[in-house]
Amino acid sequence: MSSTTVAKPLARRASRGGSPRRKWTVEQIIFTTLNTTFLLALAALMIYPLLNTLAISLNDGNDAVRGGIGIWPRVFSLQNYNVVFNMHTIYQAFFMSVLKTVVVVATNLFFTSMLAYALSRKEFIFRRSITLIFVLTMYFDAGLIPNYLLIKDLGMLNSFQAYWVPTIISAFNLIVLRTYMKSIPDEIIESARADGAGEFRTWWQIVMPLCKPALAVVGLFVAVGSWNSWLDTLLYNSGDPALSTLQYELQKLLASSMNAGMNSVAATGSAASGGQVTTPIALRSAITMVAAVPILFVYPFLQKHFVSGLTIGSVKG
Amino acid sequence: MTDPVSTLVTPVSTLVTATGLEPALEPAGSSRAQNRKARKNAAKDPKRKITWDRVWAQRALLAMSVPLLMYQILFKYVPVYGWAIAFQHYKPGRGSIWNQKWVGLQNFHNLFTGVNGERFRRVVVNTMGQSVLTLIVGTFGAIVLALLLNEVKNLPFKRILQNITYMPHFLSWVIVASLASVALSLPSSGGFINQGLMSLHLVDHPVLFLTQPNYFWGIVAGTNLWKELGWNTILYLAAITAIDPGLYEAAEVDGAGRYRKMFSITLPSIRPTIVVLLIINSGWILSTNFELPYFLGNGLVSDKSETIDVFVLRYGYQLGNYSLAVVAGIFKTIVAVILVGSANLAAKRLNQETLV
Amino acid sequence: MKRDLRLGVLRGTGRRLTVAATAMALIALPACSPDNSADKNNSDTLNPSNPTTLSVWITTAQQAPAPDNKITKLLKDKLGVTLKYEIVTPDNEDQKIGVTLAGGQYPDLIGTGDLKQRFLEGGALLRLDDMLKTGAYPNLAAHVKDDIKKMSYSGDQVDKGLYIFPNYNRFYGDVTGGVYYGPAFWIQKRVLADAGYPDLSNMTLDRYFQLISDYKAKHPQTNGAPTVGFEILASKGREWGMTNPPALLAGSPNNGGVIVDSNNHASIYADKDIAKNFYKVINQQYSSGLVDPESFTLTLDQYTAKLATGTVLGMHDQGWDFGTATQSLQSAHKDEYTYVPLMPVYPGVKPWYQDRAVMNINQGFGVSVSSKQPKKALKFLDTMLSEEWQKTLSWGVAGEDYQVGADGVFSRTDQQRKNYKDVTWRASNRLDALLDMLPKHNGKFSDGNAYSPDDQPAEFYATLSDYDKNFMAKYGNKKTWTDFVNKAPQNPKYYPAWNIKLSDDANQVNQQLTDTSVQNLPKIIAGKPADFDKNWQAYVDAIHKVDVKVYEDAVNAGIKDRLANW
Repeated sequence: MSSTTVAKPLARRASRGGSPRRKWTVEQIIFTTLNTTFLLALAALMIYPLLNTLAISLNDGNDAVRGGIGIWPRVFSLQNYNVVFNMHTIYQAFFMSVLKTVVVVATNLFFTSMLAYALSRKEFIFRRSITLIFVLTMYFDAGLIPNYLLIKDLGMLNSFQAYWVPTIISAFNLIVLRTYMKSIPDEIIESARADGAGEFRTWWQIVMPLCKPALAVVGLFVAVGSWNSWLDTLLYNSGDPALSTLQYELQKLLASSMNAGMNSVAATGSAASGGQVTTPIALRSAITMVAAVPILFVYPFLQKHFVSGLTIGSVKG
Repeated sequence: MTDPVSTLVTPVSTLVTATGLEPALEPAGSSRAQNRKARKNAAKDPKRKITWDRVWAQRALLAMSVPLLMYQILFKYVPVYGWAIAFQHYKPGRGSIWNQKWVGLQNFHNLFTGVNGERFRRVVVNTMGQSVLTLIVGTFGAIVLALLLNEVKNLPFKRILQNITYMPHFLSWVIVASLASVALSLPSSGGFINQGLMSLHLVDHPVLFLTQPNYFWGIVAGTNLWKELGWNTILYLAAITAIDPGLYEAAEVDGAGRYRKMFSITLPSIRPTIVVLLIINSGWILSTNFELPYFLGNGLVSDKSETIDVFVLRYGYQLGNYSLAVVAGIFKTIVAVILVGSANLAAKRLNQETLV
Repeated sequence: MKRDLRLGVLRGTGRRLTVAATAMALIALPACSPDNSADKNNSDTLNPSNPTTLSVWITTAQQAPAPDNKITKLLKDKLGVTLKYEIVTPDNEDQKIGVTLAGGQYPDLIGTGDLKQRFLEGGALLRLDDMLKTGAYPNLAAHVKDDIKKMSYSGDQVDKGLYIFPNYNRFYGDVTGGVYYGPAFWIQKRVLADAGYPDLSNMTLDRYFQLISDYKAKHPQTNGAPTVGFEILASKGREWGMTNPPALLAGSPNNGGVIVDSNNHASIYADKDIAKNFYKVINQQYSSGLVDPESFTLTLDQYTAKLATGTVLGMHDQGWDFGTATQSLQSAHKDEYTYVPLMPVYPGVKPWYQDRAVMNINQGFGVSVSSKQPKKALKFLDTMLSEEWQKTLSWGVAGEDYQVGADGVFSRTDQQRKNYKDVTWRASNRLDALLDMLPKHNGKFSDGNAYSPDDQPAEFYATLSDYDKNFMAKYGNKKTWTDFVNKAPQNPKYYPAWNIKLSDDANQVNQQLTDTSVQNLPKIIAGKPADFDKNWQAYVDAIHKVDVKVYEDAVNAGIKDRLANW
């Protein structure tokens, strides 16, 4: 029920549903304390494994095998990162991954938002059928072989195009953008029309800026997906080392270390004469960190775009 | 048919990812019947006449959409001829797909009956069980977390919390399965869940979670929740962002408290988001991620752990039996379309936002 | 260097010195393969004036060589050959093979490890018999001469003949080596030490478990963690740890899922008494607390961690599988926690745990049908099989990676051994990926050195720890770990049954059998002893639901075929 004490008519700050910060009631104190405690506990639960992975990656391989490491390395060693960064393919692969992600995100946002705009117009006669055709694609897949043959017939094998051309539109992201665009008040569109803007103008100059949160979200999803994918590298571009991506190279590195792990008790007796080899578990942790850290930083940059709902409200006033 | 071999993340990998940033239309005011009628009329009008004039008038919109439609058909629909593999004894390399031996429905027979059939039925049940549980738990958790995060006033703190909660999403499933395995093991092997249970005196002996088949679905849902919770809240939070702050101000004037605002403004405003998401995810019920049950499952729990994708890996790809994989894919697609269609219809009947 | 030596010698004194110096030059610099064959600027020869680029597909977990790799440079300088690699890891090969075959375009050379022979049967490879007969490929011809029947394809999808050169275990001369990589019931050295180094012959399951339980009673804790008596290996992909022991206990060598009797007839053993008796014993040991209850839920990492912390007294595994754990223990100087192989058997049976290494037929390099330079590709393989190049690929460059002793025996310094294990160093100094698939001069070179440093006896002794030396001495002065297991008898003609190519139906049945075992055995082992018979019967019933006959017939057909043709 409503609290009896606080009934300030207007909130000075555009707070999203919380009580204005004047007087703290008992209820507010209790709730905030519980909420904060709960959220902190949740954050601890979520961050622990990442810290654990980081700790293992900074730990000597032979010692890491024994398990039981918490959030601090037991035997500090940079050897795992050494192995990763000494892999001669990593810098080219990193560059290629970045390039691929940027291109994929740009093309995706451009084309998907254009289509989403068209599908968000109520008066568009083919709206429902086209939407249906796209939505259905979320639920079937023709299979590896036919897709491969298509790429091959289009001459895109072992080429950069294979990375972005087949993935321009994702039905899921299309729905996200379309729904957001549907919510833009008609008045805005009408006023743009009245000013003589055509569909393309309306889309590019009016609607897109209003869609920043949705574009940020879709951009994030696409970026993460593209950054993490390696199947396309395997299937289409494995014949050209210059086109290899970071995830694919890291995956191969991991496979080679597991292989070495199995044969590492070489007949040359004890490991006293060689401690250079690292173990799969430690290497895997280092690889995880190297693969994840770059993309982890994308979201904070996008966060500032998640606060622009104000513009929608402003029209009504 | 989604790729069964481990992919770190695909754009549509998460089961419970939010969509639809539909902010509040009109808050609880207009009656349901009115809405329905209004929508029907609005939908009817433009569709009534597909005349040349209208097409010409909308040529810009057509230019925006038709080329992309062609593109989609080329890249998604044309390769579906490959489903013919399901009716062949496919051996790669004999030239082309049309140069294979046709066996009619034999592959379907192989998959759905006999020893394989028994297993496949069990596997379908497992997949559905794990998916539904994950979906329910995940959606609920994401909404709750979005609401709680929304209550945090301190902006830097809120941002940091958000960033931390979505970090597990970036760990690969191999690592997550490994972590879950350790967490659920005996205290002497590092199993802190057992450690916690024992120190709270809830159990006398450590529980071997991974040996109990009946716990497995819960373990999958729980692990999924841990990994994807933060990620799933991104869209819900973004949707909440889009709510007109004026609504909150008005409610404040009416003397509404925290929970009132949550239930009367926030939740109804993101309801379209929730609904559209649920519809989309209902179609993905049979497409769980494959790594978690694969790495976490073992002989003792295999009755409940094996999913369709694991089965397809072992009996399809690993045996070189591509036909079997395609048959399973066709099966999944048919079920998915039925489920999505039903969900969409149900949403329409219940007067909610629909997908199509 | 080399040039100075030659010039100095030519200007020098006598013929003897010239000969000696040239001989030394040839031995000390084996990478210089003199361009002395009867090559008349033939466009099919490999020399620097005729540069060739060969595209190579390799299924391997090894890494591609770094751009500054010194062997790559040698290939270019000596032979004019540049290799373009397409490396696919074994985990990914299923998908990649499928699409590549569908596409129909292949690299010049294909190095495949696929037991299902998809490339071969898909028509991607060239039949090589005629080319070999021309005599232009002497090394390869010698390599395949004695075993050509075994190495050839004898199915019906493509013409019969030789397509692939096996990449391992075509032995020249004796087999050497110190470490045992095969299956065994392993036991920690400290257990045996504590029991007074008991006699290990005529080992039985009961004695084995007795040793373990005695020690466990004395030492319930190991470094703060509870001691585990016996660990059952059942993690993903390693179910054979649980399913193979009955065959070995019955004195059969590792034929996979079948036992082949003296009439050369194969049948599965999973539902027979030899299996029942084994699991009964394990079940009893489990209920008395000797077997780790976590056995069935451990991932490979956790299993390795348990071994590496020294808490596990014994397990059934193959020697190559726990190398990481052994290395971890050795690096911490905890040799007493490392393992020794034992061979328990049923009464009246002779153990046959160690078998002679079998050739990897149908795994290795083949030439593709779409190659535009098949002769050069084959010539490349041939050149790589020469002793000089094999030494370079396996040992490295003399003087840099190993030393030649006065007696011609190769040896290494500690720094060289260290480099050998360093994955980053190897990327710049070895062609691991290529070597993985190349046919090899396994066994011994003509100068007596072992093919690989890993098998060189002198290397083995030089790096053995004192504890291990002491341990071996206590056991009647055994010299290597392989002395602890049986001397491998001659393999039966058809051996091994596990790599017989089966029909698709038989493959599926095999998978179903494995899955049935994996699902039922843990229940049997972890169940109450009173329920054993009931559980076992349920398992046997489940097995009989599977169409076992299809599998057995396919294996028997394969055996017959091998007996006739090999």
